[in-house]
Amino acid sequence: MTTNGWLQIAVFFVLVLLAAKPMGLYMARVYERKKTWLDPVLVPVERLLYKLTGVDADAEMRWTEYGVAMLIFSCATLLLTYALERLQHAIPLWNPQHLAAVEQYLAWNTAASFTTNTNWQSYVPEQTMSYLTQMAGLATHNFWSAATGMALAIAFIRGISRREAKTLGNFWVDLTRGTLWVLLPICVVSSLALVSQGAIQNFKPYDTATLVEKQNVTATGTDGKPVTTVVTTQTIAQGPLASQEAIKMLGTNGGGFMNANSAHPFENPTPLTNLMEMFSIFVIPAGMCVVLGRMTGSPGHGWAVFAAMSILWFCGVLTCYWAEAQPNPLLKGVDQHVAMAGPAVSPGGNMEGKEVRFGIANSALFATVTTDASCGAVNSMHDSFMPLGGMIPLVDIMMGEIVFGGVGAGMYGMLIFVVVTVFIAGLMVGRTPEYLGKKVEAYDVQLSMLYLLIFPLVILGFTAVSVLLPAGLSSLSNHGPHGLTQILYAYTSSAGNNGSAFAGLNANTHWYNTTLGITMLVGRFMMIVPMLAVAGNLATKKIAPASVGTFPVNSTLFALLLVGVILIVGALTFFPALSLGPILEHLLLRAGTSF
Amino acid sequence: MSDIAFFAGSIVFFLVAVLYVHGCQSLKGGGGHA
Repeated sequence: MTTNGWLQIAVFFVLVLLAAKPMGLYMARVYERKKTWLDPVLVPVERLLYKLTGVDADAEMRWTEYGVAMLIFSCATLLLTYALERLQHAIPLWNPQHLAAVEQYLAWNTAASFTTNTNWQSYVPEQTMSYLTQMAGLATHNFWSAATGMALAIAFIRGISRREAKTLGNFWVDLTRGTLWVLLPICVVSSLALVSQGAIQNFKPYDTATLVEKQNVTATGTDGKPVTTVVTTQTIAQGPLASQEAIKMLGTNGGGFMNANSAHPFENPTPLTNLMEMFSIFVIPAGMCVVLGRMTGSPGHGWAVFAAMSILWFCGVLTCYWAEAQPNPLLKGVDQHVAMAGPAVSPGGNMEGKEVRFGIANSALFATVTTDASCGAVNSMHDSFMPLGGMIPLVDIMMGEIVFGGVGAGMYGMLIFVVVTVFIAGLMVGRTPEYLGKKVEAYDVQLSMLYLLIFPLVILGFTAVSVLLPAGLSSLSNHGPHGLTQILYAYTSSAGNNGSAFAGLNANTHWYNTTLGITMLVGRFMMIVPMLAVAGNLATKKIAPASVGTFPVNSTLFALLLVGVILIVGALTFFPALSLGPILEHLLLRAGTSF
Repeated sequence: MSDIAFFAGSIVFFLVAVLYVHGCQSLKGGGGHA
């Protein structure tokens, strides 16, 4: 670890901290339908959209109506994306490479993936998706799924702040305002900034470049014998990339236009864009803490949640950076230039799978940030991390991605933990638990626990089945604990709607495309429903005045207790699985065995 | 599997999710007291 590395990590956090308040105050005004400086441009667009779709913007929805509207919207857009993928070859528009229809299992997996804000990619985008599919099928979902998550978080916050109310707002209005006022304006600016740094934005066919040095590539032929081919040219993929990159990060989507994702120089051209992209991931979730404080009338509570998130973020980045800054112990005694332990060559550490232009600190930070949130974009390959370094992204997702978290999803996930924390605190002092003056009762805790239990159930269930079936093991590239981690990571990433891959596992099989798609849908919608039910129930309650027995939710003690509950309830659920995966791999690596 | 199977499967999932909404709502009636 170096001072320079820590300085860059500190700069990143300070930027997030500085942006949280203005971003949060702006978002609160948007969702409270108060005046903003963008109104002259956007209000006419908003009114036109409501007129065309027949939405009554003043109609309020109960939690069940809000939930069903969200489900109908998600179902319709999933089916549209599936159809577009299957028909892309027949649409004579923005398909200069004449790419074929996307295979059925893959098309369904991708449609489920982008609808749920997961953006897991079992395919190589530049070889599979036409420009039209990328824009109309995938980038649109980047906006919609993010705006849906934000709307749901706002609905939960309304549930906390409203008293004796039956409704949580209007899903269609929240979806529209989140897209028009928050996501679109920031993405326009961000896209142009990315282009200024070298990200591409065009509709050209792919370029072909002649290699300076010919390459001999050996592959296995159809008869099983090795066949060597001399490669003299390289295809350089093109496309409308910058516009998709902006929302990919801001919406914590993470699905890359290119297979290499944010390690590709067209997606992430410079260290400055690397900082911008990480900042984009956290800016809305950090602002949501301020929205929470503002809309509930308890700014201190919002900052207490922010503090709990920051503590967990710091612990994650510290561990990941420390683990990656160590050279691989198996490389001791070999050429130190290869081991990268010489200070004259590099600060030392594990550079496998990392971009030299980003280095260890920014790779560890990116990996932590992208999995703290439900983004899933990568600028380095998590599969190549040291066992404990690779465990951190996994643990981040396993905690429920509540460390700032996905846009909206991070906040409502954290609020479920808050409800459980308040409940446990109430048990400790022997009083009926209260959350900002509202009594937390059996129904709230039952549904909060349902939310928390579905997540490990779907991850561990599918992982257990996959390690027992030939279909689950046949596409692994590593065996032993590393292979288990690859499978565990795939289902964790899918259930958490993260979408980052541990690599090494070829998930483009019927088994993985189908089961990962189911995992994504369950991880998104089967958790949202009980969350909305808690919100709807909280909204109906009276707000009791604070008394001496009230547990303050704006204190340091509350933040620390919240961290404790997250670690005990969230992370410890997965400890046995982690001990068989990355922890065992770490110990075996120290003993001289690798997989 | 055919396209129709994926279409139908997706719709069935969301129909189950709608039933799940009503299941969570009805759970309130049977809840105990804190």
